[in-house]
Amino acid sequence: MGKTLYVLSSGELKRKENTIIIEGLEGRKFIPVETTDEMLIFGEVDLNKRFLEFCTANKVMLHFFNHYGYYQGTFYPREHMNSGAVILAQAKHCLDDCRRLLIAKKFVTGAIENMKKALQYYSRRGNIELDSIIEKLTVFSNYAKEQIGISELMGIEGNARDCYYTAFDLITGGGSFSMKKRSRRPPQNRINALISFLNSMCYVTTLAQIYKTHIDPRIGFLHETNFRRFSLNLDIAEIFKPIIVDRLIFSLLNKKEIQAKHFGAQSGGGIFLSEKGRPIVLKAWEERLNSTIEHPRLKRNVSYRSLIRMEAYKIEKHILHDEEYQPFAMRW
Amino acid sequence: MTASFSESPRLGGTLVWYFTICKREVWLMARGVEPDRDDEFLALGRLIDKTTYNRDRHCIDFGNSKFDIMREEKGTLVVGEIKKSSRSIDAARLQLAHYLYELQKNGVEARGELLFPKEKKREEVLLSEELKTHLDQVYQEIIAITSLESPPCAKKCKYCRNCAYNELCWS
Ligand code: SF4
Repeated sequence: MGKTLYVLSSGELKRKENTIIIEGLEGRKFIPVETTDEMLIFGEVDLNKRFLEFCTANKVMLHFFNHYGYYQGTFYPREHMNSGAVILAQAKHCLDDCRRLLIAKKFVTGAIENMKKALQYYSRRGNIELDSIIEKLTVFSNYAKEQIGISELMGIEGNARDCYYTAFDLITGGGSFSMKKRSRRPPQNRINALISFLNSMCYVTTLAQIYKTHIDPRIGFLHETNFRRFSLNLDIAEIFKPIIVDRLIFSLLNKKEIQAKHFGAQSGGGIFLSEKGRPIVLKAWEERLNSTIEHPRLKRNVSYRSLIRMEAYKIEKHILHDEEYQPFAMRW
Repeated sequence: MTASFSESPRLGGTLVWYFTICKREVWLMARGVEPDRDDEFLALGRLIDKTTYNRDRHCIDFGNSKFDIMREEKGTLVVGEIKKSSRSIDAARLQLAHYLYELQKNGVEARGELLFPKEKKREEVLLSEELKTHLDQVYQEIIAITSLESPPCAKKCKYCRNCAYNELCWS
């Protein structure tokens, strides 16, 4: 598996023979293309078609973020893991309401299960009373299983998430990171800015892992398929947001690695993670993705990043009628 | 999902090889669910391919088959197949026999040689009537497997550990 490269500085991205070069104020940096899977580009970079062709040939994905760190889009080199059988099966599962609902429900219930796991972990550790929230989540999860339509299901997942977010102030102790309410476009306070930023990291990471399998990221089940956008990565990311994103946020705040000074105000309103805060969060994010847990079936340690890829494989197996999809559930 | 192919799958040497290793792999390969090429074992295979036996002709396409090496020795054609290790020697033998059979069907008599450069080992393979009957059966079974609607279930076997489908099967 190759590396993920975070480009925070500005300059020019070029191809030099078989190497990627970043040329900027801080000098030249050489990056071997063979060991690079994806690049997350935050800085102001110039690049040309020749460079994009080079990325396609080497299957390097480029994700772009704007000045405020908001996700802008991905350069997705054409699929290299092509299987007509898989695409047909995936489309069929998306078009068939029953089959689509079955998978969509698993994303919702799986996500809620992992939210509960995240809360249980903090209620044990911090001796915080979160039982009533956890109970409500169980109710939402059961309720989700009974729904017969995608939009109702989406509604429940939204409600569950709102309920789950009420635990955040209890876990972080509020203060300068008090959430009150989840706000997205744009985030209205620091914790919302942090959640939005890391959620988008989770989406692009999932996208890059789907790329290594045969399924098509444009065909989602819970999130509406819109062939111009990626949606399956949003579906799969639901499972991992509570265990990777949210737990990282709690840890960053509790250890005071991220503080109020790492945020700025946007000119059009809203709060964003500043350029000073970004490298701290990205470093912690990358470390978290690379940390490993033992996989019960593979019988070896796998990283969280690999777990995401394997979740995509599980979807692939489900649509091939090979093995019914069971979402990843954190054990503790 | 409709399982029928409008054409029968290309019966290449790879499918014959996987047939001996794992039936599930046959299905996955035939449906284009190919393993990630990043896989280090595949990469190792390609490397051995490139760096050894470079005096002979390489990777020759013939019908549905691809030969690693082809050369002439005292008037007879010799077809060589390079393998990483002799661990899956049965599979290698069958694959090579399949090549010889393909050649024979096209009027070319040849003998085969299995090469294990890392172990400095080689083995001769001759096409017998018995092998041919066996191969005919194998072709039928491969077609039967690939027309199944879903892949045969994953079963843990000694090949799983180093298999490029390892993550897919056991995720
Ligand atoms: S991992 Fe095992 S079951 Fe799966 S294809 Fe490979 S050998 Fe077959």
